[in-house]
Amino acid sequence: MKKILPLLFIIIFSPSLLAESGLPKGIIKITPRIAPALSLENMDGEKFTLKTNSSHWSFVHFWASWCGPCRKEMPAIQKLIQAMSKDKLKFFIVNTAESEDTIFSFLGAVAPDINTLLDRDGLTTEKWKPRGLPSTYLVDPAGQIQYVVIGGQEWQKPQYSQFLRQLPINNKVN
Amino acid sequence: MKLPLNPYKRLLIYNHADTRMQAQQLISVISNSGYSRLMKTLYANSLVLRALLLVTILFSSVQSVAATTKHVIENPSIKMVIIPRSAEQMAAFYEGREFPANAIATTREACFFTIGIHNKTNDILWLDTQQWYLNNKNSTISLISKEQWKQRWGKINLPQRFQSTFRWTLLPEQLDFQPGEREGGNITIARQHDPFNLVATFNTAADKKGTPIRLEFKNLRCAEDTEQ
Repeated sequence: MKKILPLLFIIIFSPSLLAESGLPKGIIKITPRIAPALSLENMDGEKFTLKTNSSHWSFVHFWASWCGPCRKEMPAIQKLIQAMSKDKLKFFIVNTAESEDTIFSFLGAVAPDINTLLDRDGLTTEKWKPRGLPSTYLVDPAGQIQYVVIGGQEWQKPQYSQFLRQLPINNKVN
Repeated sequence: MKLPLNPYKRLLIYNHADTRMQAQQLISVISNSGYSRLMKTLYANSLVLRALLLVTILFSSVQSVAATTKHVIENPSIKMVIIPRSAEQMAAFYEGREFPANAIATTREACFFTIGIHNKTNDILWLDTQQWYLNNKNSTISLISKEQWKQRWGKINLPQRFQSTFRWTLLPEQLDFQPGEREGGNITIARQHDPFNLVATFNTAADKKGTPIRLEFKNLRCAEDTEQ
């Protein structure tokens, strides 16, 4: 028994197993699929493109000011972005089809440090086919969607940043 | 994503953004009341008018709460909520999103109901609005599909961004609700005055072969505008 215990400990607390067996609330592992194209400008006119064959995971989030859960979730996402500023995770925060005035007033009130990407005509969002708004995807370095996140989450909680930090860069997500 | 500028700080130099922000926040607050148009007309830079506005908001909020009929069915497997929305409420919502007048007029031809669904099971719950049956004493009633809305928007050349916003405010027509998942959105039917029933059936389990869940809502009605 004494020989088995350390082995059990290693198995149970292995980081790779933690990711799959103990996903934070709302995160669902899916059968990987290629992420649709995403190339949008932010509020300063700078273009951001989701790349395949990159060296990092991407956090792709769709939102709109009229969606109640988005209002609640956006401050938590702002905190997550700040908490992970030194990590290799790229954030693509995408507003769906709203005017800059609306976005400015909304973000100014709830998450002033977020500089969102603008899906001006909503067509990028259409391609991603989210379940609803808000919707979040975790895309691996090869450009495959590995996880979807259902509904608004409390991203400021440490279990989310811990989970995001241990995502494998070599793409081998089981 | 890097965060090169603080957009909120930039509001200070954004063209009219500060004033418009206040206006939009007010519109947002009142979007569920039946007085949006009156509110928007009243909005001006005078403090007196702003005070009047606030009083009216409080008054209309109380009224709209009293007028709204919320239908709820909850059991250990599911919670489903239906809230009828008046034409004026929907117009206020879409006006707040800068929809053009002809699009607002089009929405007035339909009755809107906001639906909320919570899968309380530990298994998949399948939403498929083709398994929803609506009928009044005389006939069956069809939901207006997303495709039908797309055709309506095509006829008036509604810009894509408004079509997209509208689409995302509708309830998905099909969805595999994950355990614990909550989603919502509007369903729409042709505007009518008679009460009707709605029977919603949900398949369950990953293979859809679990015991179906059947919910029946009776005596639903389109919400009328308060001024009518």
